[in-house]
Amino acid sequence: MIKSSVNFASMMSGTLESLSGLGEDGSSIGSDSEINGLAVRRTDKYGFLGGTQYSEGSDKDIRVDVARQRELKWLDMFNNWDKWVSRRFQKVKLRCRKGIPSSLRAKAWQLLSNSKELLDSNPGKFEELEREQGDPKWLDIIEKDLHRQFPFHEMFAARGGHGQQDLYRVLKAYTVYRPEEGYCQAQAPVAAVLLMHMPAEHAFWCLVQICETYLPGYYSAGLEAIQLDGEIFFSLLRRVCPMAYRHLKKFKIDPILYMTEWFMCVFSRTLPWSCVLRVWDMFFCEGVKIVFRVGLVLLKQMLGSVDKLREVQGMYETMERLRNIPPESVREDLLVQEVVSLAVTEALIERECSIQVRKWRESRGELTHQPVRRLHGTRDIHEHKRRASAISSGGSFSFLGSIPPPGPLRASSSLKKMDKEKKRTWKQKTPRSGMRERKGEGLLYSAS
Amino acid sequence: MGSDEAYNFVFKVVLIGESGVGKSNLLSRFTKNEFNHDSRTTIGVEFSTRTIQLKSLIIKAQIWDTAGLERYRAITSAYYRGAVGALLVYDITKHLTYESVERWLKELYDHADPHIVVMLVGNKTDLGSERSVPTEDAKDFAEKNGLLFLETSALESTNVETAFQNVLGEIHRKVSSKEVTRGSISAVSLSSPVPRAAGDPEEKKPCCRNL
Repeated sequence: MIKSSVNFASMMSGTLESLSGLGEDGSSIGSDSEINGLAVRRTDKYGFLGGTQYSEGSDKDIRVDVARQRELKWLDMFNNWDKWVSRRFQKVKLRCRKGIPSSLRAKAWQLLSNSKELLDSNPGKFEELEREQGDPKWLDIIEKDLHRQFPFHEMFAARGGHGQQDLYRVLKAYTVYRPEEGYCQAQAPVAAVLLMHMPAEHAFWCLVQICETYLPGYYSAGLEAIQLDGEIFFSLLRRVCPMAYRHLKKFKIDPILYMTEWFMCVFSRTLPWSCVLRVWDMFFCEGVKIVFRVGLVLLKQMLGSVDKLREVQGMYETMERLRNIPPESVREDLLVQEVVSLAVTEALIERECSIQVRKWRESRGELTHQPVRRLHGTRDIHEHKRRASAISSGGSFSFLGSIPPPGPLRASSSLKKMDKEKKRTWKQKTPRSGMRERKGEGLLYSAS
Repeated sequence: MGSDEAYNFVFKVVLIGESGVGKSNLLSRFTKNEFNHDSRTTIGVEFSTRTIQLKSLIIKAQIWDTAGLERYRAITSAYYRGAVGALLVYDITKHLTYESVERWLKELYDHADPHIVVMLVGNKTDLGSERSVPTEDAKDFAEKNGLLFLETSALESTNVETAFQNVLGEIHRKVSSKEVTRGSISAVSLSSPVPRAAGDPEEKKPCCRNL
């Protein structure tokens, strides 16, 4: 008996040893990584076992005392969050641009996106959504996608492992929460990034904020919002980097051919991981503007000089370059620096948006989903929340993001009235079949 | 990158079919001889190229792969533009993916060139014990609709090469028999007799200018 247990132990250690060298065959990773609950396989510091987003050890870590200082500053902000956002937002923004300390990132994202408040004001809601059966149409697709998100990340590598289970819980809960929206494949990587940082329930509310406040319409049927942003993006490129613009135009490369994944996944599948985190830090604080800017910086980088263009003379060559951005060409600090200094403001994006909406209507008719005004990051969300609570004198309304959902979480009556009035002005002229209007959507319709 | 390769024709081929049937793995098997159990979901468009020899001709196949989820169909018109061939893929173990074939076919003919060469592909023959779509059913359907037909396994590399070769061969046959005239299919570059052919007017190859 004793002997056999010794044998077992030595066998186990043998197994672990043989696992510790990352297999030559990358495809076997993931099938069994959960047996190494002891993290025997070497991951990079972000949990990647391999793949294109694996970080070689060359990343320079910031000094310990600097890191500690930053943590203290953030902890101080957490303690007086509302005040910081309303009175010293520039400082908050600056600190997000410097990068949020990894130990505090999860909490910071939830405060920046206001998902913390959704979580707190809806106790038990997530469990309730989980208990619902869900639409098999969506559950089927979600199940098929579980093992196809960051297969090289330790959390999602194992089939049926806890990462994939949580992913299922979050994505399913969303389809129950918004049955009219259902599931869109690009939501999975977004949810997965959140799950790398926080528990499922927190990730769920954060996902809600991304889908409804930061990037409304991105994951909705018809994908009109993403197509519109493609047009806006292309037109901004004309200002920012005419050379890249002319090149893409010359080879008739539609924005949707390269920016769909960038925008819908907020670059989580495109950039080296250290960059992904920095981009998400800024994105949560400043909103979609950051997504546009990162995309523009990448195009500048890939197609911004005669030399670079010489290598990609052709539609396919260009597409290939844009779909496989060499990680060494994107340096974290340089990327952030360029993103920060790019003169693409919220106002510019909004102005371009109205132009593109008008063009869309002229050339393609009415939009199926009316464009919803997105909130440009933390301050905008905060401001909106303040206004909403001022209107809601009843006090029963708690800010719920962009779209007060049907059912028990509905907006107060005064808001609904406002809602109705706005809706009238936005009434669709030619609604397509199968269209459903969501209650409360009018709240955020752009007034311009 | 292949931009300076010599070739006689460029054929654009699209992969379509429901999510999870193995489109991306068919693509990677054909262009890179790779298979990935946990390949990432395709969001938007992916594509890859491979140059093959067909008799005395060199053909560059540009194969486009797209997300199968219904939602993405809204953005696929750019994807069909210029396609001269299509592999319409279903999973032989998932009958639902076969049932949607007709819908995909309609989608294809709505957006692509009417002369497009289409092959119906039943993938995942390695999972034969779980088969739910009989070969004969699919074969009959393909015949009735004038489609080529093959069953493949991207995992075991069965028939993948043949599937693409047959589609490319059929495209070439159509083009050279003048069933399709130049211009009706924009991505086809009918070469001059000089082997190192430039592309069509829309897509100038760099070989003559920037090397």
